[in-house]
Amino acid sequence: MPNRKAKYVYTPRKQEIPLQSNNTSLFTQVIIAIAVFIFAVTLSGVLSINSMIQTWNQSILGSLTVQIMPVNDADREKAQAETLAYQERAIDYLKNVKGIAKISVLPDSQLQKLIEPWLGDGVDISSLPIPRIIDIKLEPGAKINFVQLAQDLAKASPQASVDNHKLWLNKLIDFADGLKALAMTILFLVITITSGAIFYTTQTSMGMYKDIIEILHTMGAKDAYVAQQYAKRMAFFGLIGGLIGLFLAIPTIFFIASLAQQIKGGIISEAHLSFGDWLLITSLPFEACIISGITAYYTVKKTLQKML
Amino acid sequence: MIAKPNNTPAIIEMNNVGIRYGQGPEILSDIKLSLSKGSFHFLTGKSGAGKTSLLSMMYLAQKPSRGTMSVFGSNINFTNRDNLAMLRRKIGVVFQDFRLLEHLSAFDNVALPLRVCGMDEREVRQRVTELLSWVELDQHMMDMTSTLSGGEKQRIAIARAVINRPELLLADEPTGNVDNDIAPKLMKLFVELNKLGTTVVIATHSEKLITDFKYPILHLQNRALHIRYPSDISSLSRTGGKYA
Repeated sequence: MPNRKAKYVYTPRKQEIPLQSNNTSLFTQVIIAIAVFIFAVTLSGVLSINSMIQTWNQSILGSLTVQIMPVNDADREKAQAETLAYQERAIDYLKNVKGIAKISVLPDSQLQKLIEPWLGDGVDISSLPIPRIIDIKLEPGAKINFVQLAQDLAKASPQASVDNHKLWLNKLIDFADGLKALAMTILFLVITITSGAIFYTTQTSMGMYKDIIEILHTMGAKDAYVAQQYAKRMAFFGLIGGLIGLFLAIPTIFFIASLAQQIKGGIISEAHLSFGDWLLITSLPFEACIISGITAYYTVKKTLQKML
Repeated sequence: MIAKPNNTPAIIEMNNVGIRYGQGPEILSDIKLSLSKGSFHFLTGKSGAGKTSLLSMMYLAQKPSRGTMSVFGSNINFTNRDNLAMLRRKIGVVFQDFRLLEHLSAFDNVALPLRVCGMDEREVRQRVTELLSWVELDQHMMDMTSTLSGGEKQRIAIARAVINRPELLLADEPTGNVDNDIAPKLMKLFVELNKLGTTVVIATHSEKLITDFKYPILHLQNRALHIRYPSDISSLSRTGGKYA
């Protein structure tokens, strides 16, 4: 005589379709875990690029750089003295330009840091013919004719040239925008593929449990009753899969970030994720949960329309 | 065609209804039926005569291929899906093959129609416990239905069909798998429900049931539906006539 009561497990209300006990549930969780992993890593990339562009904009907007090209002369000391003289003439001129808030000459120590990634540690820059750099901060809303400024500065100090950063910044921003567009395409594809996978998994499952769904209908269940069962279960799978994906993605993001940090003096090292960015990334499992639930709900509703 | 007695409202009305599967021939043709509220009918016919098809139209699992059909006054061709579900809640069905959810307990199977309606769980527990006790299955309330015998499953199926106090009860061979001493008790349940106003249609092959309970018979033959009254049954019984 079999023990009849041994197997009984209380069935939660409104969960008559045994969705927890089939292979499609594991498949769904794996798909969502992979999707959230890719999504999280890609999203962190997009957010980093955004922060990078923002940092560039903030640091560069309202500023310009004047370069004093070194004077070429066999007599090094004389050349240095002449270069410094050109620097002073440029500063004198700039002091009289309206709209300039601050003029600061880049110190040797900072110049040393800038060339360190290329020439290594401990190089005596005084022995090198490197340009002097003057960093200029503009007053907020300053209207300066940069072409006129460059011409007048060249007259005042022939070795000076103006770089208002816009050209190279625009190129960098274009490049960053390209990367962002690529990342957004990946995100869109991930959402589409995941939704598609949930759609087909739900339909497959509905085929498997057609008899149960028919019985529920015969008992008077509305489509929403059946759809809610699928939505709840798929949302749960979305949450579990999402948490697994996030659990794998976080160390990956830190690993990529550590690689980026190693590129010293490079532009990538300026990329970082803010608290808000992390909040967005860690909320992905909940978003996966919602998307899975909604996709399953409407898949069931749409599929049931074909039945009486 | 069945006439409505006493001008009582029709529970089901069929006019020139035909049903076919795919491109095949019609299983049933030109069915005209008016099932009045509170009536009790047996449904007979040989295997393959279309009893199950007729019942499935009645419990709104299929639409007719042609003709018009009204259930509880609603033309099903113009009834939306949610309203069809509401109509189904007034119908109790006992399937020949039980169609229980094998992965659920006896309790959960019987509770199904009540939960679908959103009934409070305390009331669900009370009503299901009472009914399972009545069909002598209170000892197996929490057993998985897959572990129950055929007769026990049938009683679960009947309990599930009547738990919601349906206005229309459709049963396909409801006493086919139960012991001889249980069958009269189940029939008594159907009769009691009928006295309380439930319209009952029972598809059966059992000659004993037809002769013991003198209700009109809806007989399917040659794709058509005929009505026979208890007086005809007596004469058929005397001549050894059979309905199934």
